[in-house]
Amino acid sequence: MVEALSIPVRVMVVRPDRSTEESELILRSQRGDREAFEELVRRDAARLNSAVARFVSDREEASEVTQEAFLRAWRGIGHFRRDSRFFTWLYRIAINEAKRRGESRSRRRPAVSLDDEAVPEPVDWSQVPETRFEQKDLRRELDEAIAALPLSYRVPLVLRDVEGLSTAESAGIMSLGEAAFKSRLHRARLAVRLHLDRYFAEGERG
Amino acid sequence: MIGLLRRRRFMRDHHWTEAHLSDYIDRDLDNPQRERLHRHTENCPQCRRMLETLQRTVRALRRIGIEETSPFGTGASEPISDSVIAHLRRTGWPSQD
Repeated sequence: MVEALSIPVRVMVVRPDRSTEESELILRSQRGDREAFEELVRRDAARLNSAVARFVSDREEASEVTQEAFLRAWRGIGHFRRDSRFFTWLYRIAINEAKRRGESRSRRRPAVSLDDEAVPEPVDWSQVPETRFEQKDLRRELDEAIAALPLSYRVPLVLRDVEGLSTAESAGIMSLGEAAFKSRLHRARLAVRLHLDRYFAEGERG
Repeated sequence: MIGLLRRRRFMRDHHWTEAHLSDYIDRDLDNPQRERLHRHTENCPQCRRMLETLQRTVRALRRIGIEETSPFGTGASEPISDSVIAHLRRTGWPSQD
């Protein structure tokens, strides 16, 4: 029997004082306080930029999208409602901006196919040591596998698995129902798994 | 006849299992569904291998998030928060909606 394994999850440690501080910073920003907004930038920019980097083509574009996302957030912060986390709201703005830029690029670059096709016999790499996944070559393979996904599949994978957001939050950011979101997530995971299958089948090329 | 029915049931479970591996990993299956998946993976080496490697894949992806590494690595000349703030100041802090 294959038991569900314990999978590490990014634990969002939000101390009550930090959350209260954030609420105050948001409130002050909504009243036009620039210093308060700059503090929000200092808190969230690095994490947002790391996530955005998965949706664009290079570091410069990631910086531009992050900058633009905060600019739009500043202009629209009056519309932010407390029923979602501030970071989730920021994500939605950043992803829309990355998508807008990515659409013209994806028309030029063919993406990998995620159509249903016969799944080849899976390669057995289930016993590969866990530490193997910390090594650079395998990390590069994972990055390549993520980058090869069409944006509409990459976003669910990054939000749910890399960033560790819940299904409900991730689906909300993408304005998708949970069933549709889960279907895309599953196909994206299968595509990354298949990429690793090929990597291990080729004998872990250097 | 019985063999044919068993084969059909096996294939039904096979397709169902393939479609629900992520739900299993995310603990989104109820008990009867989990039992169905367990029963099938015990008897189907292909699905078992698929599940094990998909679990490894998801764990590896989550590790990326925990380590918070950008696919472009580090090496930017200034922290991103500084460039965002500089950008806001350069644009003169546009008026809020």
